[in-house]
Amino acid sequence: MRLELGYVFIKDVQFGSESKVENGTLYVNKEELINLIKEDEHFESVDIELARPGESVRITPVKDVIEPRVKVEGPGGIFPGMISKVDIVGSGKTNVLKGCAVVTTGRIVGFQEGIIDMTGPGAEYTPFSKLNNVVLVCEPKEGLKQHEHEKALRMAGFKVAAHLGKLAKEIKPDEVDTFETLPILEGINKYSDLPKVAYVQMLQSQGLLHDTYVYGVDAKQIVPTILYPTEIMDGAIVSGNCVSACDKNTTYHHLNNPVVQDLYKKHGKELNFVGVIITNENVYLADKERSSNWTAKLAEFLGLDGVVVSQEGFGNPDTDLIMNCKKIEQKGIKTVIITDEYAGRDGASQSLADADKLANAVVTGGNANEVITLPPMDKIIGHIKYVDTIAGGFDGSLKEDGSIVVELQAITGATNELGFNKLTARGF
Amino acid sequence: MGKNIVVTNNPLVKAKYQDKVPLEYYDIGYLELLMKVRDKVHLGYKLLTHPLSSSVKPNETPYKTVIISEGSGLDSDSLLIIENSILTTKKFLNDISVYNWEDKILEDFQVVDLSIIEPAINKIL
Repeated sequence: MRLELGYVFIKDVQFGSESKVENGTLYVNKEELINLIKEDEHFESVDIELARPGESVRITPVKDVIEPRVKVEGPGGIFPGMISKVDIVGSGKTNVLKGCAVVTTGRIVGFQEGIIDMTGPGAEYTPFSKLNNVVLVCEPKEGLKQHEHEKALRMAGFKVAAHLGKLAKEIKPDEVDTFETLPILEGINKYSDLPKVAYVQMLQSQGLLHDTYVYGVDAKQIVPTILYPTEIMDGAIVSGNCVSACDKNTTYHHLNNPVVQDLYKKHGKELNFVGVIITNENVYLADKERSSNWTAKLAEFLGLDGVVVSQEGFGNPDTDLIMNCKKIEQKGIKTVIITDEYAGRDGASQSLADADKLANAVVTGGNANEVITLPPMDKIIGHIKYVDTIAGGFDGSLKEDGSIVVELQAITGATNELGFNKLTARGF
Repeated sequence: MGKNIVVTNNPLVKAKYQDKVPLEYYDIGYLELLMKVRDKVHLGYKLLTHPLSSSVKPNETPYKTVIISEGSGLDSDSLLIIENSILTTKKFLNDISVYNWEDKILEDFQVVDLSIIEPAINKIL
């Protein structure tokens, strides 16, 4: 499977009378987007705001971040099973509006998470401060239940991202990257002297605001299976919104998965990147046993020499992570695991809720309990009054001058467990 | 397989399932509920669900639901998981204690806990 990703670089975003991309600027017709979102009658009011890098803007509570993309050639469309039909995606050509994102905000539940500061110290902790953001501020109708609200907001984000993506369909990209994965036997023949490496991606799958979808299927209901890595770049995996904003993967993270990107960089040179094994993180312990048994079985079946495992979320996924690591290692396959830490404010406590001596190669995305002070911003998009009730916030988090004292877990993407961030720790 | 029991401090789980599955409701905190579950593990019960079932942190939500199953002796895997969960919970509570939430937000926490445990309850119905 071969995919060409064409990057159309976006350096600015502006409102305009016509939605279009011109000379690196994304112009957005506000009314058009509002009408598109209001096709869903669950929303009482909808507004669109813009937030650019360096502006004194705080966006909160962020529920998802989505990169606009469009299929230019090849089967299927972006976000299969959500926006497009369920054709297999990941081949042909896809154009990407690189440098911008759709950000959804909303009060789905009263306790909230997810801050993106576009400037200041907080901006350093989230990759989304570097993007030209089209922010959807959607207010639900009175009495809308949490599950319906979550779904409506999720779909609004995908719809707008797909709509904006289409603006780049006829545009010649500024840069093109090509990714190719051969069917397993062909790949092994072609790279017979290289170690066979796969990526085991764990998908959070526990319930409201803890879910992930694969081709439209709730990941709770899958057994581990295999994807071509390029399928992910066309939106085969999407987020079901978040709590724990620091370590829930947004849809943007999935589309730009850095583990996939880095393995492709070494593909055919240092290793043979044979594919992605996706698995879930269910609450039921027998599901954890079954899924980790299957990831290990698939790793063995593929004849792998090494595996990179990434986790998603806090608490019980630590158990899935260790089960995956242990069982794959016991098959004689080397593993590296990627996680983040809740090591207490002083960083001195045990980081994970599970451990094993076979987990001897670990990459961390940072300590989510670390405390940071975010200075006041000139403009707030969303609901600042919920900051006291944000994960990592506490009574008195929000100061009179508008500054916030919070743990890093409040910041969207701060301790991302795919490594799409700057925090880590190194041993010497 | 022995008798399965839903152990919860979430009134919404109690209201929805007390007539459908064996259910023990306790009006106690998150940590106390985990300790109650630990006591039962020492009595031979086995964990069917992970006690840290959500990304909502133990010092955020006051609600927790765990499903256990009657067993024939001490299950060491269950003991390890519940002890690690208690340690993690204490770590969070040491830094920041649980907020005094308004009723609307408490209801949201109940809904999230229910949403997370519901697929597991459906497996034992």
